[in-house]
Amino acid sequence: MASMRHFSIAVVVTATLCVTACQTDTGARNSAPPSTAASGSPVSGGTLRLVGSGDVDHLDPTSSYYTVTNGILRTYARGLFGLNGVPAGADTTKGFTLVPDVAAEMPTKENGGLSADGITYTIKLRDGVQWDTQPPREVTAGDFVRGFKRICNPVAGSGAPGYYTSTIKGMQAYCDAYAKAFTKAKPTAKALADFQNGHDIAGVQAKDDKTLVFTLTQPASDFLNILSLNFSVAAPEEYDQYVPDDATFRRHTISNGPYKITQYVATKSIRLERNPAWKQESDPIRHQYVGAIEVKMGVAEPDAVQQQLEAGSADLSWDLPVPTAQIPRLKSSGDPNFTIFPGAVSNPYIVFNLQSKNADGAMGKLKVRQAIEYAVSKVAIAKVYGGSDVATALHTAIPPGNIGYQEYNPYPSPGDAGDPAKCKQMLAEAGYPNGLTLIGAYRNAGNHPANFQSYAADLEKCGITVKGLPVRQGDYYGAFLQNPSLAKAGKWDISAPGWVPDWYGNNGRAVVQPLFETNCNPGTSNYGCYSNPKVDSLIKQALAQQDQAKAAALWHEVDTTVMADAVIVPLNNQNTPIYHSKRVHNALYLPAFQLYDFTNLWLDPNTP
Amino acid sequence: MTLTEIRPGAVGGGPVAGRGPWQLAWRRIRTDKVAMVSGAVVVLLCALALAAPLIAAWTGHGPDEQFRDTGITAQGLPVPPNGEFWFGTDRLGRDLFVRVLYGARVSLLVGVVATGMAALVGVVVGLLAGYYGGAVDTLLSRLMDVVLSFPYLIFAIAVVSIAGPSLTATIGVIAFYSWAAIARVVRGQTLALKEREYVEAARSMGAGDLRIMFVDILPNLLAPVIVLTTLLVPAAIVFESTLSYLGLGIVPPTPSWGNLLSEAQGFYRVAYWYLGFPAATLLITTLAFNLLGDGIRDAIDPRMERLFSRRRRTRKGA
Repeated sequence: MASMRHFSIAVVVTATLCVTACQTDTGARNSAPPSTAASGSPVSGGTLRLVGSGDVDHLDPTSSYYTVTNGILRTYARGLFGLNGVPAGADTTKGFTLVPDVAAEMPTKENGGLSADGITYTIKLRDGVQWDTQPPREVTAGDFVRGFKRICNPVAGSGAPGYYTSTIKGMQAYCDAYAKAFTKAKPTAKALADFQNGHDIAGVQAKDDKTLVFTLTQPASDFLNILSLNFSVAAPEEYDQYVPDDATFRRHTISNGPYKITQYVATKSIRLERNPAWKQESDPIRHQYVGAIEVKMGVAEPDAVQQQLEAGSADLSWDLPVPTAQIPRLKSSGDPNFTIFPGAVSNPYIVFNLQSKNADGAMGKLKVRQAIEYAVSKVAIAKVYGGSDVATALHTAIPPGNIGYQEYNPYPSPGDAGDPAKCKQMLAEAGYPNGLTLIGAYRNAGNHPANFQSYAADLEKCGITVKGLPVRQGDYYGAFLQNPSLAKAGKWDISAPGWVPDWYGNNGRAVVQPLFETNCNPGTSNYGCYSNPKVDSLIKQALAQQDQAKAAALWHEVDTTVMADAVIVPLNNQNTPIYHSKRVHNALYLPAFQLYDFTNLWLDPNTP
Repeated sequence: MTLTEIRPGAVGGGPVAGRGPWQLAWRRIRTDKVAMVSGAVVVLLCALALAAPLIAAWTGHGPDEQFRDTGITAQGLPVPPNGEFWFGTDRLGRDLFVRVLYGARVSLLVGVVATGMAALVGVVVGLLAGYYGGAVDTLLSRLMDVVLSFPYLIFAIAVVSIAGPSLTATIGVIAFYSWAAIARVVRGQTLALKEREYVEAARSMGAGDLRIMFVDILPNLLAPVIVLTTLLVPAAIVFESTLSYLGLGIVPPTPSWGNLLSEAQGFYRVAYWYLGFPAATLLITTLAFNLLGDGIRDAIDPRMERLFSRRRRTRKGA
């Protein structure tokens, strides 16, 4: 399951490549409207101004994978299920709970939405959800089927097709056929549309205009989470006229949400205005308070963005985090516009390249890895991100807020500050009394060089010299870590990536499976090519397990096994500091995207 | 060897005590206060750089040693200058003073070695091109043109992405980019010198090409080469800082001024010292080298009057 995270340029944590989150058991859930932060009655109008560095990865919801893109996707592309934001101070895990969006209700065994064997989902669509076409047209089940068929298009497919191919009956066969059909053929808009309209996915059927039926290969208790990801939102028939996400497509996106894109200038700006076809009564999770949303790109410095927010010349940061150095000041001054939301991520963590032959294959030796587990100071890494307010020491492979998490500490050190003596002793037992030399790859941007120098200094005390290998930020995951041939060639021994799951709650498929299941193919997220049959089997059992508590126990067992094997060194769970200008009200936080919900906030005063 | 007597440098004697051109230059530069101060700064910097390990041992702070309790706040902010850390600390709690000194070692090493290599290559290529002319000249001159027309930063980024960033790669890139400027000047000078009578005389006496190039022509090229080299050193230091700033130069934790500046950029609003001290040191160093280079040029070649020259103004007043 490839869901890789690319951390935003120049910076730290936030902008990751991902998507939705949530907890699902298959129980009934009422969709409550988002709670309004108590600060007066909503004001309509005004332009929400976002300022930041880079462009969206894609505007086509099928292929978008950056969290920043999700911020605006939410305003123009609606899925079957969605998430509500949470106000500051509330329990962020509430933001993991799925609610119906275009679906009329949560499918359960009681309401007949889910078959007794857990294989078939029947989902009714809500009335009154319309495309912004002339005249406005109702969103149909067929539009969703089209969305699923676009997932594995060979031009700009989804970044995580595995979630769908591993669950939906016939999806893998459909995707294989799609790829095969275009190994040689030119993927023109017509050829792609013809393929999609001429082939069916066995497990995705439109029973009528308002009813979707999904058939799975085996029960999957996280299936509704997968349906809530942006990859499988509805696609209007007009999208058949374009090659997915090409320049023409980007000029002709069609909205079924409260806003629509009225102008997009690549790498410069995006403007969204109210969508007249959208109706409040047919949208349980969004509003249409602000008059327009404007994204300005090209400001690469977090400091510059922060200054604009504080001066009130912009309202929110688009893709840059609050500058680390500013956090203590903002926190101590009690600035009401500044909030730190608790995180549920493993970022950064140290991964070992188990394939490396360097230093006598040291990385393949359990004792060496365990020695390193003891050596690294987790509090020092937390200080790189702004101290314990922002980042907390993490001891488990699965971070809190994710299924299977239970606090325990297999490699304790005093105050989480590392134990070089213990490391040294274990290293000697492992056959390296005189130390060793490793290659440490790091991204040469943002806080990453500091992270590297921090853990390298710890290992130096233990007798391990880590030679730095800077890697360009943009190459780090796709071209470097996810390329197992580089791992096998011993180009790196140790590195500190981060992981933000595509959804939270019941998400073993989005955390444990990609990180620890045997997979040494290009694009793997198991960067060090760890392989343990016991772990693989536990993952299989956990995915098939419908009882949440039993599944959680299985996921936790993976955690303990992985930590006993010392496959990674968990370092920090990072909280998300966010700042908004003082005229922003009802800022609801979406933990899955680490962003505020643009569709629920309002501006006072509302000029401009 | 009789040839030495007809070298232009040795001609200017007379009944007064014979002074060579170098002696004259020295006398001139000694009256140039700016050049002398700059020279002193350069010498001081070199001394501090050389003594960095001693100073580190004396302060008790290693260049890569992280003082996580005293050197950073609980929120990970650097500590301002104080009795223990004269220049304050950086974001990992390391002593900025010691790191700036160690950075000077890297910067000066890169500056001097890269420029030295560039001068060596530049002089040889320039001599060959100027002396032989014809096809050799065409070939070498085009080569210089090619090198000079490289967009240097893009070239550097390309090289570093292939070779991987390191001290050697940094020096190599800078040397590669700098030699052509020297070669061009040397070639021009050689073209003029090789037509001089003393060269003709040497040739008529049976001197070989190598001998003429290196014994007869080269000493007369030293003045412009020295001036150019002195001015290239600060350029090389800035180049190294640029590369390191972009994460393409010296690999951390080894401190270089570029690395220090790069690390400090997110902290300038809360920690002036973090950016201030490395930046000031870099500024002072390049300024000192440039002014020293200017001074040497004035001293060696007094005919070349600088615009707004201090000495010219004093002469007018006198």
